[in-house]
Amino acid sequence: MAKRILITDDALFMRVTLKNILTQNGYEVVGEASNGAESVELYKSLKPDLVTMDITMPEMDGLAALKQIKAHDPNATVVMCTAMGQKNMVVEAIQAGAKDFIVKPFQAERVIEAVTKLLAA
Amino acid sequence: MKVEYVSPFAEAAVTVFSTLINCKPERGQLSARPQMFTSQQINIVCGITGQVEGLVIYGMSMITADKIASKMIGAPVVTFDQLAASAIAELGNMISGHSASGLLSQGFSCDITPPTIIRGTNVSVTTLDIPALVIPMNLPEIGMFEVNVSLQERIRLAA
Repeated sequence: MAKRILITDDALFMRVTLKNILTQNGYEVVGEASNGAESVELYKSLKPDLVTMDITMPEMDGLAALKQIKAHDPNATVVMCTAMGQKNMVVEAIQAGAKDFIVKPFQAERVIEAVTKLLAA
Repeated sequence: MKVEYVSPFAEAAVTVFSTLINCKPERGQLSARPQMFTSQQINIVCGITGQVEGLVIYGMSMITADKIASKMIGAPVVTFDQLAASAIAELGNMISGHSASGLLSQGFSCDITPPTIIRGTNVSVTTLDIPALVIPMNLPEIGMFEVNVSLQERIRLAA
């Protein structure tokens, strides 16, 4: 069965791009959230195998959403996918439990490599 | 407004355009404006908060926006719809995000706000009374892309 992924990004363009990359590589995109709060809610109801998480978003940012998802499910697999590539952001996200950190703009291969590695187990 | 705040944005724009749409921008002459003003048709507005704060506006013509969005989406943009607007907004987000990394390496820790797109010419944006520095960038075979930066160092309150 295809692994189930939840995409989180406020930009429609980014959601479409990520969905195309993931579905073309055999993954199922089960949900799309446009802010952190939506992502936390969808995580609880959909229980995806992996979540992609933008950081800069309205309402609730990706770091806050990451922390809430990890509090709800310490085993959650969350990959940050953001334009904010500063070291302090990366460190904060990894400390909060993010499994990988992809900086935009990215190549499709980078996304697939990260997702494949994390979902292989 | 210090010129050193602008370089990270110019460098970020070069990095993002090269990676995203394989286009190497040529940097033009830096100029100053007494306040934030854009005469471009499509403008991406991003707020910067933190140790330096203010606004950045990325301006371009409709034709340039269509060309960039087409390359990002991988299909021609016929009408500048929600997806195209979202692609252009995300372009602003990427440049601002990379700029924030550049500002951090200069010792200024900043965060960025989600981008807003403003369509329409002769827009004057006044929030803080700081002049704007403008870097025009020529995107070969695409058009002009203007980076307007209006930032100031946050006034530190005495402890």
